Amino acid sequence: MNWNCLYLAIISCLLLLNSVKAEIINKNVERYLDLSSQLVKTTIKINAEDSAGVPIKEYVFTAKEANIAYISAKDALNNDLKLRKEQSNDDQRFVLTFEKALPKQTIQIETVSVGNVKPYPEEIKQNEKQLVKYAGLLYLYSKYKTVTQKTQIKLSSSNIISYTQVKPFSVSSNKIILGPYENIKALSDEQLAIHYENQTPFLTVNSLERTIEVSHWGNIAVKESIEMIHSGAKLKGSFSRYDFQKDGRQSGQSAVKSYRTYLPASATGVYYRDMNGNISTSNMNVQRDFIDLELRPRFPLFGGWKTQYILGYNVPSYEYLFSAGKNYQLKMRLIDHVHDNMAIDKAVINVILPEGSSNIELMTPYSIKRRQNEFIYTYLDTTGRPMISFSRSNLVENHISDFTLKYTFSRVSLLQEPFLLIGFIYFIFILTIIFLRLDFSIVSYHHNKSE
Amino acid sequence: MNRGPKILSNKVAGYSSLITFAILLIAWIAGFSSRLFAVIRFESIIHEFDPWFNYRATAYMVQHGWYKFLNWFDERAWYPLGRIVGGTVYPGLMITSGGIHYLLHFLNIPVHIRDICVFLAPVFSGLTAISTYLLTKELWSPGAGLFAASFIAIVPGYISRSVAGSYDNEGIAIFALQFTYFLWVRSVKTGSVFWSAGAAISYFYMVSAWGGYVFIINLIPLHVFVLLIMGRYSPRLLTSYSTFYILGLLFSMQIPFVGFQPIRTSEHMAALGVFVLLMAVATLRHLQTVLSRHEFRKLFVVGGLVAAAFVFVAVVALTMMGVIAPWSGRFYSLWDTGYAKIHIPIIASVSEHQPTTWFSFFFDLHILVCAFPVGVWYCIKQINDERVFVVLYAISAVYFAGVMVRLMLTLTPVVCMLAGVAFSGLLDVFLQEDTSKKFGNSAYSVTETDENEDPTEKKTLYDKAGKLKHRTKHENNHENGISSNLKSVVILAILMILMMFAVHCTWVTSNAYSSPSIVLAFHNSQDGSRNILDDFREAYYWLSQNTADDARIMSWWDYGYQIAGMANRTTLVDNNTWNNSHIALVGKAMSSSEEKSYEIMTSLDVDYVLVIFGGVIGYSGDDINKFLWMVRIAEGEHPKDIKESDFFTDRGEFRVDAEGSPSLLNCLMYKLSYYRFGELKLDYRGPSGYDRTRNAVIGNKDFDLTYLEEAYTTEHWLVRIYRVKKPYEFNRPALKANERLIPPSNFISRKNSKRRKGYIRNRPSVIKGKRTLK
Repeated sequence: MNWNCLYLAIISCLLLLNSVKAEIINKNVERYLDLSSQLVKTTIKINAEDSAGVPIKEYVFTAKEANIAYISAKDALNNDLKLRKEQSNDDQRFVLTFEKALPKQTIQIETVSVGNVKPYPEEIKQNEKQLVKYAGLLYLYSKYKTVTQKTQIKLSSSNIISYTQVKPFSVSSNKIILGPYENIKALSDEQLAIHYENQTPFLTVNSLERTIEVSHWGNIAVKESIEMIHSGAKLKGSFSRYDFQKDGRQSGQSAVKSYRTYLPASATGVYYRDMNGNISTSNMNVQRDFIDLELRPRFPLFGGWKTQYILGYNVPSYEYLFSAGKNYQLKMRLIDHVHDNMAIDKAVINVILPEGSSNIELMTPYSIKRRQNEFIYTYLDTTGRPMISFSRSNLVENHISDFTLKYTFSRVSLLQEPFLLIGFIYFIFILTIIFLRLDFSIVSYHHNKSE
Repeated sequence: MNRGPKILSNKVAGYSSLITFAILLIAWIAGFSSRLFAVIRFESIIHEFDPWFNYRATAYMVQHGWYKFLNWFDERAWYPLGRIVGGTVYPGLMITSGGIHYLLHFLNIPVHIRDICVFLAPVFSGLTAISTYLLTKELWSPGAGLFAASFIAIVPGYISRSVAGSYDNEGIAIFALQFTYFLWVRSVKTGSVFWSAGAAISYFYMVSAWGGYVFIINLIPLHVFVLLIMGRYSPRLLTSYSTFYILGLLFSMQIPFVGFQPIRTSEHMAALGVFVLLMAVATLRHLQTVLSRHEFRKLFVVGGLVAAAFVFVAVVALTMMGVIAPWSGRFYSLWDTGYAKIHIPIIASVSEHQPTTWFSFFFDLHILVCAFPVGVWYCIKQINDERVFVVLYAISAVYFAGVMVRLMLTLTPVVCMLAGVAFSGLLDVFLQEDTSKKFGNSAYSVTETDENEDPTEKKTLYDKAGKLKHRTKHENNHENGISSNLKSVVILAILMILMMFAVHCTWVTSNAYSSPSIVLAFHNSQDGSRNILDDFREAYYWLSQNTADDARIMSWWDYGYQIAGMANRTTLVDNNTWNNSHIALVGKAMSSSEEKSYEIMTSLDVDYVLVIFGGVIGYSGDDINKFLWMVRIAEGEHPKDIKESDFFTDRGEFRVDAEGSPSLLNCLMYKLSYYRFGELKLDYRGPSGYDRTRNAVIGNKDFDLTYLEEAYTTEHWLVRIYRVKKPYEFNRPALKANERLIPPSNFISRKNSKRRKGYIRNRPSVIKGKRTLK
């Protein structure tokens, strides 16, 4: 441990020295903060420059925010940059590597973080508005000096209770513009706090279990079981149905009555149920390139209320399953849309392949945690279907992307199940024939009917 | 009849078994599919109240295994008492569906246990049809058997208890009942130990499935007894009854819930008595062969008297000593319909324990109820051992069905059998073809008619009627005197009646018996669309998601099983009404004022109170309508605190409007049902607080709750849930020490020790034993 610490210290000293020598400065920084939902979506444009004119190969982006769910970086030509994560004591460092080392670089960084907009007060009554507080940093947290920077903040409503006021600043309806500020020291961490009204749904998916069952008879069944909580301001005191019905706008504004889920356009046989059976309150609108499902939980979700449900549907396999001879490739979304601005705490994805699949190889767009593979036994299975299982925590909408699963499967084994059935029925007929034609009784017994 | 099969050629026998098989299969399929209305209209869901407990118990058994289930102590029911489920339940139902579940999963067929439970009763209805066929075949003829099987498959009296989702004991018990009777009749006929042992095993299954096994264990001894009286004693009877009784007794005692009841309660004593009697008769018969006539008569008189006196004295003494339990209350209510109303209000409060109306006999059985006496008459006319049985079955079942609506269920099978006999007898007469007389095969011709589309029949009836008329008429006149015109008219009439029977059955099933009752549907009169009221599940799901796991919920006992099954929360009372005083306590809490019931609720650790309120949508089965039963049951245990008469107006009416009695308008149930309802306007024109169920404007509109607060109310106000406040919440707001703005330690009273009392200046303060200071 001690040795490790020492090494780390030496390395960081070296790095520091290095950076001092190179002297990268942020010429201009523009930040856009979108605080209109439960998520904090940040877009940062940085014009970095080396004062000495040395070409910049690497740039270190430091984030002090907790719970960053998603981060991506692009260069001036909109190409994705490589990100390498380094964990230091209390802040996260992402090292960006440029393809071409230039003395002037333009970087665009997008981050999405969860749980930094907190309800304040934490408990409200049914007819009160939900106020939230954002706590962040006034300036871009950077290890480099910044010459000028400006921050634009978008809020969900124009009802702003208070915010950190450092001149120059301006407010217009639901937008706050802070800055431009000049000559900010490296690693300055002045606080920014905004207290404002936010009635958008604060829904957190506590756990999502997505099961994809592939059948080579032309169908892929998807089942998502979801546990959800309203993570906004908790309901204080009693719930009154009378007030809720009488005046839907005044009472229970922050309550979630329904939300929308988007399914693939080819989805059929959609079901929405929980452990007590079908939930009859849902509407399905088929759009051109997706299915818009309006889900209403059994009860309106107030702050702190939970619900769980199962949503399932079938999609034809030709859209997602590709083959070349014995080799198959499944390309499907790792997670799918649950509701707008969703935040998923933990997702478990299970992929069930047909019986007899082998050489399974999984490729995911981002890092995941593999779990133990299992065998699932369903209709007419003998050796079991392999189930590939993996999980990831802290997911947002930006994580909706495809994973690829390669495996080999021989077409002949498709016929195994029909033959099993035919054989079984044949066997029963044979048994019946034998039993009816032959006499198995020990003694010949004349059955007397009533006389 | 006996000679029929022998004479028949192989080919005909093949046809007849094919037709039998086909008809039974069709009966099974028709019975199964006519029970699926609820599944198709709603979904695969468990219905009503008791099935929810059975489902929960089955799910527990599937999850935890059989032995855990036997030892299951359910701490989520009857708080704070709990319930020993394993010992207070007939486990046959759970074992059956659990066994099917196990078998299917063994074959890698992953069917959810709920679906097995939902479809168990429809599947068993097919088995019932087959065992009814077998029993009727033993009693009369295969043709009558096919009729009976077809009848029982679709008759509403049986469907009412076996629609898909109605996962209750009766669903499988009727099969067990019929099958036991079949095996019993078989064993009486043959005198074989094999069949009577089979009957005992089937009886064992029945005991494990339903409390109605008492019917079997009294009916079979009655059969034996009547046979003895009729002088129809035979060694066959001795063999079959003694085998059946001994084995059945031992088997039935294996069920934990039954335990030692078969040798200790009065309900089972008849079987023992008949067993002793049969033994005595057998002994006497034996002695008769050994002794001379004179000796025998002496022995008979003396021995008989002594034995009778001994048995009587023994039974009375044992009952007095408490070894044999006297008749239970439910049993008394079978003999005296007014008994329950006076002594056990909890039994009387269940609607299915009311006496049956004439209307419901016709509603449930339709034409069968008319044909059934004909069948009884046929059986009496051509009496033999097993027909004695069916006559006794018919008479006793008719009596019991008249006493309780619920026991309509035991009447239905015998009505189907005897109606089958009647129709078969009728067709025997009227469908006797001239050619068939040569074969003497009535059974075959009957089986043909059962399928309404028999080609030969059609020919006679419609196609070439004019042409054939003369010939048949001519021949008939010679042979049996019934004109062919009359024949065809009668047959047409029978077919019409049977067709109307099928239509009636479908109609009744679809309209009366296929509602899951936890999901309500109503048709919008304006646009004809179908709306679903899912308030029960909404409330139960809210409870399951948003209350503490150990929250205790007080509600009337009707909803106990549903709360446990769907919300998985602890209840105080439920549909297993074993503890009357506990129910009475809940009834007292509901019918007392808020303040008094708060004391009861805190003593029972109640966290939430759930009431059903139908005033917004006009749902008649709500708690206000059941309220008088709560009052009556509470009065039974707490006559000093609760009086039924307090809840009526001076003119003896039960009203919720302004003229209602003050104790009704201020009791907890009223307040919980109508909290803030007085502000609600259902119509733009109508007054606010108009109760649609009772068609009245409520009397007490403006009140507030002190000890409870509304926790949740469903969309249509059908279920209302209230949270019971903790003592500190309504008394005054409590602040924790660290939250107080002025900490108690820093509090300085302006009254110091000297200024505590008022004093007069310059007046010497006197302290005892000391001089006054000056």
